[in-house]
Amino acid sequence: MSISRRKFLGWLGAAGMGTAMGSSADAASNKHFTGYPGSMGVLHDINRCVGCRSCEAACNKVNELQSPDQVFTDLSVLDKKRRTTSDAYTVVNRYDPATGTGREKEEPVFRKIQCNHCLEPACASACFVRAFTKTKEGAVTYDASVCVGCRYCMIACPFNIPAYEYDEAFTPRVMKCTMCHPRIMKGQIPGCVESCPKEALTFGKRDDLIKIANERIQKYPDSYVDHIYGEHEMGGTNWLYISDVPFERAGMREDLGITPAPQLTSGALAGVPIVVGLWPVLLTGIYAMSKRKEKIAQEEEAQAVAQAVAGTEAEAEKKLSAALAKAAKDKETVVKKEVKKALEEAAKAKEES
Amino acid sequence: MKKGKSLLRWAGVLAAGTIVLICFSFVGARGLASLSNDCGKEKRADVIKIDTLKVFGDIERPEVIFLHDLHTAALEKKNKDCSACHLSGKNFEVIPDTLKAAVQRIDRMSPKFRRLKDISRKEVMDIYHNNCIECHTNMSADGEKTGPVTCGGCHRKNPPVSSRQPVGFDKSLHFRHSKVQEKKCELCHHEYDEKTEKLVYAKEKEVSCRYCHKQETQENRISLKLASHLSCIDCHRKTLAKKAKAGPVRCSGCHDLENQKKIEKIADVPRMERKQPDTIMITTGQPGRIKDVTARMDFVPFDHKAHEGYNDTCRACHHTDLEKCNKCHTLAGKKEGKYISLEQAMHQMGTENTCMGCHEIKQDDKKCAGCHVFMQRTRKKEASSCLKCHMKQPEVSDPGNAQLSEKQLAAVAGTMLKARKSVTDTFGDEDIPEKVVIRDMVNKYGPAEFPHRKIVHTLLDNIRNNKLANYFHSEKGTVCQGCHHNSPVSQKPPRCGNCHGKPFDDKNMFKPGKMGAYHIQCMGCHKEMGLEKPVSCTDCHKENKVLN
Amino acid sequence: MSQEAAVAGKAPFTPDRSLFTRFNVIAGIIVIIGLVITILRFSGGLATVTNLDDNYPWGIWIGFDLMAGVALAAGGFVTSAAVYVFGMKRYHSAVRPAILTGFLGYALVVVALHYDVGRPWRLPYPFIMQQGTTSLLFEVAACVALYLTVLFVEFSSAPLEWLGLKKARNIVVRLTILLTIFGVVLSTLHQSSLGALFLIAPSKLHPLWYSGYLPVFFFISSIIAGLSMVIFESTLSHRYFAHKMDETHLREKEGVALGFGKAASLVLAGYFAIKVIGISVDNNWHLLGTCYGAWFLVELLGFVALPCFLYAVGVRDKNLTLIKWTSGLTVFGVALNRLNVCLIAFNWHLPSDEKYFPHWMEIGISVFVVTLGIIVFRFIVTRMPILYEHPDYKDGH
Repeated sequence: MSISRRKFLGWLGAAGMGTAMGSSADAASNKHFTGYPGSMGVLHDINRCVGCRSCEAACNKVNELQSPDQVFTDLSVLDKKRRTTSDAYTVVNRYDPATGTGREKEEPVFRKIQCNHCLEPACASACFVRAFTKTKEGAVTYDASVCVGCRYCMIACPFNIPAYEYDEAFTPRVMKCTMCHPRIMKGQIPGCVESCPKEALTFGKRDDLIKIANERIQKYPDSYVDHIYGEHEMGGTNWLYISDVPFERAGMREDLGITPAPQLTSGALAGVPIVVGLWPVLLTGIYAMSKRKEKIAQEEEAQAVAQAVAGTEAEAEKKLSAALAKAAKDKETVVKKEVKKALEEAAKAKEES
Repeated sequence: MKKGKSLLRWAGVLAAGTIVLICFSFVGARGLASLSNDCGKEKRADVIKIDTLKVFGDIERPEVIFLHDLHTAALEKKNKDCSACHLSGKNFEVIPDTLKAAVQRIDRMSPKFRRLKDISRKEVMDIYHNNCIECHTNMSADGEKTGPVTCGGCHRKNPPVSSRQPVGFDKSLHFRHSKVQEKKCELCHHEYDEKTEKLVYAKEKEVSCRYCHKQETQENRISLKLASHLSCIDCHRKTLAKKAKAGPVRCSGCHDLENQKKIEKIADVPRMERKQPDTIMITTGQPGRIKDVTARMDFVPFDHKAHEGYNDTCRACHHTDLEKCNKCHTLAGKKEGKYISLEQAMHQMGTENTCMGCHEIKQDDKKCAGCHVFMQRTRKKEASSCLKCHMKQPEVSDPGNAQLSEKQLAAVAGTMLKARKSVTDTFGDEDIPEKVVIRDMVNKYGPAEFPHRKIVHTLLDNIRNNKLANYFHSEKGTVCQGCHHNSPVSQKPPRCGNCHGKPFDDKNMFKPGKMGAYHIQCMGCHKEMGLEKPVSCTDCHKENKVLN
Repeated sequence: MSQEAAVAGKAPFTPDRSLFTRFNVIAGIIVIIGLVITILRFSGGLATVTNLDDNYPWGIWIGFDLMAGVALAAGGFVTSAAVYVFGMKRYHSAVRPAILTGFLGYALVVVALHYDVGRPWRLPYPFIMQQGTTSLLFEVAACVALYLTVLFVEFSSAPLEWLGLKKARNIVVRLTILLTIFGVVLSTLHQSSLGALFLIAPSKLHPLWYSGYLPVFFFISSIIAGLSMVIFESTLSHRYFAHKMDETHLREKEGVALGFGKAASLVLAGYFAIKVIGISVDNNWHLLGTCYGAWFLVELLGFVALPCFLYAVGVRDKNLTLIKWTSGLTVFGVALNRLNVCLIAFNWHLPSDEKYFPHWMEIGISVFVVTLGIIVFRFIVTRMPILYEHPDYKDGH
């Protein structure tokens, strides 16, 4: 297959157009999502939490989850660190001071773990059927009616929150805190917030919560670390934390950075249209070049064969004509000889008579 | 077959090479990693940084970290003492008993290693290298555990962390020393006479060493570190040599936190005899006026004698010298006072050097913290609370011009102080309900029976034994404000539920709701006061079986 | 497999030949166990047959069957690109087996996916219900689905020849170059995207394996896997199906091994270089001194650098045995890399008692799926013109 110059240029042009029509990747853009205006959130004051587990009980009741083996008033479960499971949207953990640091007499720290309802959720970015939605109210909700169960959201979540109903054969779901979105829509507050006796959980607009957190830190600078966790972590979350101890001590990772999760993969996704645009051009070009090489090789071969054949033919011709000439000459010589012989014989015969 | 052998040979060679490469990389990277790690997680008090060569210019290798107590212990095992490394002249075991002797520091030991002076870069370096490495080499030849001999063994990038705690004299230690020295102050206290360029003893002018000896040596005024080590350790060492009881000579003896806790503390130290006043009038520095027309606030009478008893050292307040505060901290502030005005010097919170700062720190006590933890430091205090200190001066015919001497002012102060009522006043029992039943939030739990009067009495008992607390709670209704806050003082203060209603109200963002208010206040107080009970939910309110 | 079984497998099919060859028996047992586990999986849910938990949502069905499987099936696009795009006609005999391996590989990936995903009947949802285009998994799914179709069409020429459908077969053959180009594009996309899946979790993947270049690493290593897998598969085919091969095939075998071995050595060298660059870009040298670092060095030096050298030596000395064994080593190495990224270096912060090890039933299904592949491969190769040219179509392509 030979490709004309026109065709080749045409391909190039099409590829270029294709690339130009792709939407911008925003991988290195300055766009920064600061949340839907007026979106709600929860402020968790770790200083106030006493590990009573009322929030766990309320969450279990409000979401009609399965009752656990140990009742919520059993505080011995706090001896082990727990994480969210398919039966528990939220857990409270107790963090004892580390041994061997000379700080054993310090008080233990309690912290509530649940979905942080990120501004730019990793789970929503990772889901290939858009089962997660960042609602305007701030809650990140899950739609079980489209979920295929690939569990990529569990891989993606930097806080290790989503859990899966591995026990379910036909309707396994991803389970995580919903910020009681249905209740919020009815003007109520999340179950855990309502039940906390010490108001270690405050519900309100995210902007207001930041104000409240700053006010508390400013009022009692000796009692709070000057940082609101979740203000910027992973691009910002709607569940904020303030604490009297360093967040690491309360079991929270401080090395997550401020890049929102979707930005981590937007670069790779941006490469897709480029590959789609350029690869066909490249490969077609290589194909064309290899085909052309082949053709040229073929032609050269044919030429060489033809030359060789022609040469051989010419030589054969020469030989033939030489042989023919020789044969003719030989014939002539023989004829002459015969004639001469005949004449001689005739002459001899005449002489005799 | 040839191919097979070749296969085996090549595969084997390359596989072996790979494994070797893996091991090398692993070990090499480990070495790299250890360079950026903390070596020796153990924290020690005897970490000395040898960076003497810095006086001669830049140093090429990292400073050497020397563990002094480690070496003292090792040398002790070999029956060697300080003189193994520290040079001195003759008579170095004589304990000075006069100022002259003390001043001359009879043959004190040089704190430097095997030398009396830093002469030159090469000499100092050689002293260290030759002596240290030689000793280590000898010890290792004897098969003993010893220090490094290679360059990198001593000149390490990541030294162990020093846990050295600063140590100081407090009243108790000073008393013990002065008793032993039979009150011969001149043995330690001296002044520098510029004219004669000599150390002299000035009676009744004894002050803290720190007023002259600062962090760094300045010309011929040696640093506090040097001064204290030369004086203290020298004397201790010599006393110990005489087999008498003395203080520590090792780094960790003074500078280790645990050892510091073991220092014997005398409970009732007799008052220092330094002719200090019993009472003072704190003025703005204008001489002798009973009321400073420029200052506009009444002067503050100050019970100096009582405050001597409240602090462990004089320098808690007299941080630079024993003069009056307003000598450096004038109304406007001046250079000598680092431009800290008199107002700041008296009232700044968050530091123990000021009056209010120190009083605030006292509120952290378990008996006080239950109420006081909720009062934010940066709050605006009521104007009337100023009058607690800035008491109304007694009447004088012409206050602006009334000139009184220091002594007279002090006497006036004494009178004013005596007139103070440091007695807590509160309402009678008939006004304090015995029990308050909180039943307006009954849901999961039943009503809470609150032993109101018992709690008030406990608080009053806590206050009663403390003069400071008594004085500031001397008005009726002040104690009630601990819980009945953000409202005017009253015989019938508002109930919690009167102000605390629905939570998470965005018009009242910073005020907790009713349930939160109760739990934050009650549980917060219990936690700060370190109460064992009540702690769990049912200790205060029983479960509501009806609902469940 | 023993000699006798090999011989037995080699014997031409006669109606009264016993079906109970050693291979058939073993494969049969595996299949039966696999079917039982399948029933358990779909009646009882994932918890009954796996050790998956909330910290490790992806196990060996994803780590091995999906990720390693896709990488090892890359021989299809590599070989067809080499022959049709780059015009290297001397490898022509390797194309059909490579395409078949690729097609079966991807088909089995989809089979394994049906086990792993919570609701496999909803697998078409991302295409027909809601498109999660922000997700790299969507891109993987779309490209894998399309590529499976491409492979199917490319492969279909063989069964069409077998069935004697000339016209259809000719149409397919004429589409070859188009399908090949499309296949390379799709392969680039989904091979790299499988690596890019982990870009979203930098806090969970060990820094020695996490890199912004993950997509590039996965793509290049898939080429290496493809090249090696062709050599590996060719070796096995020559051992067990030599009686099915025609002259061209037998003659070209050496050339394929040498040529692909040379290419693999080169690409391995390049892969090694970019891996080292990856460490230096993030300045992670000190991590090589940790336990994970040692494991990383084993992967990098033992399964990338070592095969690079072994291939080079084998090609230089024309040592086919060495090349054959090296291809096995390389294939294992790429599978190991996928397992490292997906399971071993994943959630590396967790204490060892919370780490994941597959349930024996998970391993059972993986073995079952691979066995199915081998069985189908054997069926196709012994009947259809894969290892030989159909006499009616000798002039084709």
